[in-house]
Formats: sequence, C-alpha cells, structure tokens
Amino acid sequence: MTESSNLRIAVVGAGPGGYAAAFLAADLGMNVTLIDPELNPGGVCLYRGCIPSKALLHVAKLIDESRHAKNWGVEFADPKIDLAQLRSWKEGVVKKLTGGLGQLSKQRKVTYFQGTAGFENSTTLRITKNDGSAESLSFDRIVLATGSRPVIIPSLKLNTPRMLDSTSALDLSDVPGSLLVIGGGYIGLELGTVYAALGSKVSVVEMLPGLLPGADRDLVLPLHKRLEKIFDSILLNTTVAGVKEEANGICVTFDGPDVKEKELVFDKVLVSVGRKPNSEIPGLDKTQVQADAKGFIKINAQRQTDDPAIYAIGDVAGEPMLAHKASHEGRTAIEAIAGHKVAFEPNAIPAVVFTDPEIAWAGLTETQAQKDNREITVARFPWAASGRALTLDRTEGMTKLIIDPKTERVLGVGIVGAGAGELIAEGVLAIEMGACAKDLALTIHPHPTLSETVMFSAEVFFGTATDIYRPKKR
Amino acid sequence: MTDFKLPELGENIHQGDLVRLLISPGASIAEGQPVMELETDKAVVEVPSSISGKVKDIRVKEGEKVKVGQVIFTVENGSGAKAEPAAKPVPAPAAVPQVAPQKTEVVPQKEEARAAAASSSTVPTSPAVSSSFGPSEFRLPELGENIHQGDLVRLMIAPGAKVSEGQPVMELETDKAVIEVPSSVSGTVKDIRVKAGEKVKVGQVIFTLEGGASAAPEKPKHLPVEHVSGQHSARLAYQMAVQAEGKTEEEVFKPDAPSASLPSFSMPPQLGKVAGTEHGEPVPAAPSVRRLAREIGVDIHQVTGSGPGGRISEDDVKLFAKSLLAAAAAPSATHFAEPALPDFSKWGKIERVAMRGVRRKTAEHLREAWNTIPHVTQQDKADITELEQLRARFAPKAEEAGGKMTVTAIALKVCASALKVFPQFNASIDIGKEEVVYKQYINIGVAVDTDRGLLVPVIRDVDKKNIVELAAELTQMSKKAKEKKLQPADMEGGTFTITNLGGIGGTGFSPIVNHPEVAILGLSRSSMEPVWMNGKFEARRVLPLSLSYDHRLIDGADAARFLRWIAEAFEQPFLLSVQG
Repeated sequence: MTESSNLRIAVVGAGPGGYAAAFLAADLGMNVTLIDPELNPGGVCLYRGCIPSKALLHVAKLIDESRHAKNWGVEFADPKIDLAQLRSWKEGVVKKLTGGLGQLSKQRKVTYFQGTAGFENSTTLRITKNDGSAESLSFDRIVLATGSRPVIIPSLKLNTPRMLDSTSALDLSDVPGSLLVIGGGYIGLELGTVYAALGSKVSVVEMLPGLLPGADRDLVLPLHKRLEKIFDSILLNTTVAGVKEEANGICVTFDGPDVKEKELVFDKVLVSVGRKPNSEIPGLDKTQVQADAKGFIKINAQRQTDDPAIYAIGDVAGEPMLAHKASHEGRTAIEAIAGHKVAFEPNAIPAVVFTDPEIAWAGLTETQAQKDNREITVARFPWAASGRALTLDRTEGMTKLIIDPKTERVLGVGIVGAGAGELIAEGVLAIEMGACAKDLALTIHPHPTLSETVMFSAEVFFGTATDIYRPKKR
Repeated sequence: MTDFKLPELGENIHQGDLVRLLISPGASIAEGQPVMELETDKAVVEVPSSISGKVKDIRVKEGEKVKVGQVIFTVENGSGAKAEPAAKPVPAPAAVPQVAPQKTEVVPQKEEARAAAASSSTVPTSPAVSSSFGPSEFRLPELGENIHQGDLVRLMIAPGAKVSEGQPVMELETDKAVIEVPSSVSGTVKDIRVKAGEKVKVGQVIFTLEGGASAAPEKPKHLPVEHVSGQHSARLAYQMAVQAEGKTEEEVFKPDAPSASLPSFSMPPQLGKVAGTEHGEPVPAAPSVRRLAREIGVDIHQVTGSGPGGRISEDDVKLFAKSLLAAAAAPSATHFAEPALPDFSKWGKIERVAMRGVRRKTAEHLREAWNTIPHVTQQDKADITELEQLRARFAPKAEEAGGKMTVTAIALKVCASALKVFPQFNASIDIGKEEVVYKQYINIGVAVDTDRGLLVPVIRDVDKKNIVELAAELTQMSKKAKEKKLQPADMEGGTFTITNLGGIGGTGFSPIVNHPEVAILGLSRSSMEPVWMNGKFEARRVLPLSLSYDHRLIDGADAARFLRWIAEAFEQPFLLSVQG
C-alpha cells in the first residue's frame, strides 16, 4: 500500500457507492476528496430512497398488523395518524444516519465539499460549492459515483403538487384520498403500500401483463394476491395515454385491451417508471469517458472508464441500480486504483422488494433459465408447512432453490414472504461459495425460524423433506 | 399437403447448416425459387424449391443442421415433385447479373450507378414473400473465407438516421483488414444492436429498420466469398453517385441526433447484463478463492474443481498454477500464460491501447510460428551488378505496364523458379497426419509495411507471369495494402514469402517463417563491395540474402543449395530462362 498512499483521489457523489469508495481509499492511506450537494454523505439511498422508504414501510406494516390482530383476539382502535410526527421520525432516521457518515468522513480526514463538480480535463475538477464559490483541483484518479434520478416522461409531466415522483412521495405532504401509481416496479409497489396503509385508495397501472416485470411469477403471485386486497385496483396491460389537471384532481386517460373506464380522476398521481443515470457531468467531453446509448458510463471489470484516470461505479455505471452493488463496486474500484489485482466478479447480486410480503432473489432465476434454455431443477418449499410461518400467521410465503441437476450446485434462490429480504443473504452466500443442495440440507438451521425453509427446500430436492411429503420424481 | 425435403446436394454431402431461410409461412413459392441458404462443408449453396404452393409450416430454424431428406417445409395445395433431386441446388453464383428493381431514391441522380450498386449486392426478391414482417434488419454479411467476426471500429449511423443501400454503416477491423461495410437495406434506423469496440459476428443483427424500403423479410442475399468485392463496388457506385451531386457523403447523410431512449426498468440483476462483468457464468469458487486466482494470474474459468459439484478450492487454483508453470517450462508448450506484468504506471504515465485486428493477429500468428517451427537462417550474398544494368534498361517497360521494376519484383520471379527446382520449399507439414503437402502452384506473399501493421498480399501463379507483369501486380498490391483496400482473399493461399527491408537499410536479419509455409526469403540493402574476380578486387553491387526455413522439413544442405541457386539466378539472370 505504500505506493498508493500518496495518491490524490476525488470521489464525485457521496451515495452508498461514493462514500464506500472514499472511506476505503482513506483507510488505504490515500488523500481523499468527496464531493456531493448534500450536507453529509448518503446520496439518494439515505436521503430520498431506501432508508426513508423502509422507515415508512415499517410503520405501514405495524398498521396492517394491528388491523390483522383482530383475528388473534386482540382488537385495536383505528390508528390516529400524526403525519408531522411520522415525517419528523423518518427525517430523524435520515439525519442520524447521514450525520453519522459525516462524522466517519471527518474521522477519516476525507475532505468533503458540499457542491458539484465538472471536468476541466481528465484529472482536474472544477468544484462549485453550494455557497457559490468555486475552485479547480487536480487529482491522480477520479471516481464517478453520480447515481441516477427518476425518469420523467414528457407526456406525464404536469407542473402541480398533485404529480409525485419517488422523492416527493417520500416527503409525505399529505395522505391523498386516492392515489394512482404509474409503474408496477418495486418503487411504485413499496410507496403504494405505504400510502394504502395510511388510508389512501391506491391504484397501480402497469404496461406489462404482470407486476414486477422480470421477477419469477411464482414469487410475485402471493404479493399480487395481497396487494389486490389492500389496493383499490391493479390495472395490467394498461398504459397511461395522458394526464390533465382538473379542479378536483388529476384526470388520467388509460389505454389498453382490458380498460373498463377510459378516464378516472385521482387526488394524486405517483410516476415511478424507472430511473436514469446522471451521466451528464459538465466537461465529461474533455475526457475520454464514453457512455452507452442508455447513458450509462462504460467501464471495465475494474470499473475503469475509457479514460485511464477515471473510474465509475454505481447507478451511473449500469444496471442493476442497487445500493449494495454500488458499494461493492466502489471498494473494487479503489482496490484496483491501489494496485491490487481485483475485478468486480460477484456470482450473485441479491434483489429485494420491501413490500409485504417481501420478495427477494439472487443468482439465476427460473425466467432467465428458461430464456437460456438451461436445464435446472427447482425445489420449492411452501411456507404453509413451516411452523414459524404458522405462528406468524403468514403462510403465503415460499422458498425455492434453482439447482443444476448435474452438479447439484445451487445456482439461484428465490423467496417470497415476511422477512424474505433478511433470508436471502444465506442464499447469496450459498451461491458465492459454490454450495451444493446437500450442503444446505446438512447445515443445521435453528428451529423454529423461517430460515429453516432454505434447508427444507434443499431437502425437497432430494425428496426427503421432513415436514412435507413430496417424493422425488423419476 | 406436400412436403419439401432437402434434396441431394452432391457427393458426400449429407447435411448442412441452415444459414438463412428465404421464405416465411403464408408466402407463395414457385418451383425453382430459392428457399434457403445452406452452408455445407464445401460451400454456401442456395437451395431452390422443387414444389410450388403456399408455405404452411416451416420445420427448420436458422442455425440448425439440416440433413438430406429432412422435411424443410410443407405447402398447401402443393404441386410438383416430392423432393425429387430434379431441383439440383445451384452454388451461389460468383457474380450476379440481374439488376435489382429501383429502390426509393435518396440520391435521385445517377440511376445507373445506383442500379449497379444494387445489383452487385442484391438480387430481386420475390414480392410474394415481402409482407407481414415488422421492421427489417441488417445483419453482418459474409466477409470472406475464414472470417467469422471483426472488431467494430466505428459506427457511421445513429438511431433515427436514414440509410440507403450502399451507404457505409460501419468500419470493421477483421484479422486481415479494415473494411467499410455498406448497408444492403434502406430505411430509417430504429435500433442499433452493436457498439463500437465490440466484436461482431457474421450473421449478427447490426441494426433494425423502421418500415424498411427494401423488401423486408429476406434481406438482399449475401453472396459468400465474392461478396466483399460486390460490396466494394456497391460502395464505389454509391460514392460516385454522391460525388456526381457535388456533395460529400456527410452532407448527404447527416448523422441524426440519437433519439432519447427510455431506459428499461430492469430490476432483476442478471449478471450477464452487469456492465464490465467478464463472464456471465458464475464459477463454483468462493470469493476468496476467486480473488487468490486473480492475484496469482490464473483464469479461474480454466480451473477444474475437485470438490462436490465441481467446487474449486484454493488448492485447485495453486495446483493449476503449478501445472501452468510446468507447461511453460516445457519446450513444447504453445499456450502458456504470459508472466504477469508489473504496474508500469508506478514509474510514470502510461497509455493502454487495445491490440486490435492486424496487430493482435500478427502477435498470435508469429508466436505460433515461432513456437511451432524450429528456425534456422541461412545467409548469402548475390552479385547483382549485371542485374542492376538490366533493371535500369527494363524499368521503362515496367512503368508502361503500370509497375516499378524493383528488386522485389525480380526476386519474385527468381524465387518462383527456385521453388520449381526445390519443391520441398513450396510445401507444408501436416504433422497430425504425418504427411508433407507439396503444392503444385506457386503463390508468393510479399510483406508490406503499412500504418496498420504488417500485411502480406499474395501474388498468384508467379511462375506463369513475366517480370513486367509481376512488377505491375506488385505495385498494385502494395498500393492496395497501404490504402487499406486489400480484401481478405488477397492475403490467402501463399506458398512462400519474400520480405524486403532493403529500402530501410541493414545488412542481414532473421525473418520468421510465415506458418504453414516452410521458408521465407529476406532481402537487405544492396551495397557496393570489393569482390575478388579476375585476379583483382572489383567494385560490385552485392545484395545480402537471408533465408529462414523450417528445419523439420528442410536440411541445412538443401537450404544452402536453394539459397545459392537464388544468388546465382540473381547473378546470371539467364539461368531463369534455362532452368526456371
């Protein structure tokens, strides 16, 4: 590390990728500058994404369970919701986390500029601080971690507080009587769940024939069933032809084969149709950095761009746009800069949808295996046979393993159910370690927990699961 | 209902790869109409239908192997012989005489030129088939023998741009040359499926069109082998047409600004799609083991795991590394891992440049040649004083024929004669079959120094041409090489190579044999030297000769004789007409 310790590093963007990179660089003895418009590190994930939405989803789950408790002989009165208090709690969580990161940044002697940066050349940044002052600084290496932002579709752009994107939806300015969510991806479904629990009548419209396009259908089904109960309607195969503001709300025109009412009025409309990379960095044309047609910056296995002095990580460098992928990339990039022989080469990147039930998967999906025409064996364990799921009164879940029939290696894991997001970590480790079904079946899991379902599904593969009678075929 | 079965294709041909289907369900076909292109071991052939009617059901897919007698498709209300061999497949013709129907004109003038452009790359398509398909697409056509892919150097189109037939759409660097690939379709570009810097394979979709003006489903037929020159003339005709308008190509087709494309909302992290991941397929090795492999320079994908389910342990990686080292130490090793490089940037700024096409191919080819062939280089000198006088005398004649009477041109003739006398120098070794292949033709490659690297165009049937003809052909070939116009076929089929560094200088060198040839002649700079003759030193012009040869096939004595023969032929050109 001695040779890398004098390197001057700039990290542009302080999201989970950017601050992970900056902190590791500092730990390796480099001279680090971190630039972000926010007061403290955190990025979209902490300020306007993962963290605030999870805080609200936790509350949503509590409200939902308190209603459900009637079935267990405990009845609560209807909840009284103090929006101001809820907002301030959520903001408190964000402040605590980002403030903590600010502390860590100081302890590591990272120079933090609150502002934005553009390129003067491949190694010189023009940093414009939020107070209006500007200065040019040179670095040995620059890491771009500028993230992404919600896609704005011109036909759905209305300049009114009734139109929301994920950021304004998290601000929680009120609880609208009715809310339309455009886009059946994870962001729309998570936020829709929050508003439904708080009392809004929520509708979701999705262009494709199913929610969460790309995820295995058997994982989506239990969620779909539950959402049908808490949402007002789920419109599939439907596009939004137009929106216009009227006195009493937003009038939305629908288009599609299954449309019954062509026009409906909603108090608010949330557009969550995707995110796009923030690759329009001033002066990028003065470097050799290249972007692809979708705007993602092109990188190699070390996260190095076409310009040898510049690296790019996280959302701006390509799909999947996930915080945990960005942090891993950030660390990889810094290790590469430090001269270590590394590459971004995970065997699996887990994905979690924090709805209720949660959906999580890692590695190969059934959908992808079918597309690739790849032979797999799928071992499913329905949670109806799990003691723990019964005690939670949440038996709609399912755990499945995607297994290579020849080597019996675990190629993929998919879980739907309460707490699936926590359970998937074992699956990721199994895939990363090259574990076989036997390894999972022979590992003692604590009873009674939902984690047992991972071991049980491995036993299903061998046709010897204790709690379910499903003899092996053939 | 009638079936069309794959008819007999010729002796010893039992199957072929279906390259392209030229029909679609619902189309009407007539007897004799081509229905598919099939690649057999010997050639790409067009298979004509032996029945007519309306296509009902197609039973094969592009890319599949198809056997003789296999049902290809069925027709309703069919008529005609059932898979009679009457319909003999015709090998795709080398030149296509038909003239394509006039397409929508983007450049209205010079219709002849455009028609010529169209005719060399397309044949008329059946109107019956050209319906019911979505946007047409442009696939990378055949580029020449043994060329299956290339590096995309530069795209010349953008989504939303208009392309017309013959317009160049990209620059592709193959192992042998940089080629501009012209479009064979016209319309508005919808979707570009490739990126600059990527490898592109023959048959891969390059872009799709919105409402292509050219008949949609079957793209204009691409003729194998001869196709490059067809494309080339299409390109020239197109350029002429544009120039006739007094415009540059860029003025005619301004690259349109790319339209904003909506990013797809893809949550599932398919690793294959994650930018910069090197392999789609996960390896059964723990992250720590993968890291170890990378650190010691082992490609983890090459390691066989000894654990359950093929799991790779640390020990597996170390064992594999050891076996690599052992293989590297063994003299016969051809593909050992190169030792790891230090981090050069520690000592100053560096620039990394991709080793593309010609340079990479040269590196691979020469390493293979060096590792395969036990080289020996024999040196000699030829007194070319008399020859120089002859050369000066005949230079105007060569110039009349459009060539330059160079030492290389004369060396071509000398070597051709020598190869006739010493056939083992015009041979190859087939070590697998333990046979020597003697070639009964003499094609000599000449190394040409270009700004893209070393290229070796081949002059054919050198023994059947005179020096003036050879001089003209050589001049033309070097010009083509320097202008990047050499076609892959121009560089194939050599039996011997000449490399002349005399223009630069030097007194001798050891050329590397151009495998699978067995010998190469190097020429250095001739100079005036004192030569002992007729009892005194005389000032003579002397040409240094360096012959490298494959010692497996050629003995030292033979090489010395061969080179002496060449030296004497230079000294006494009369020998050529007597023995050559």
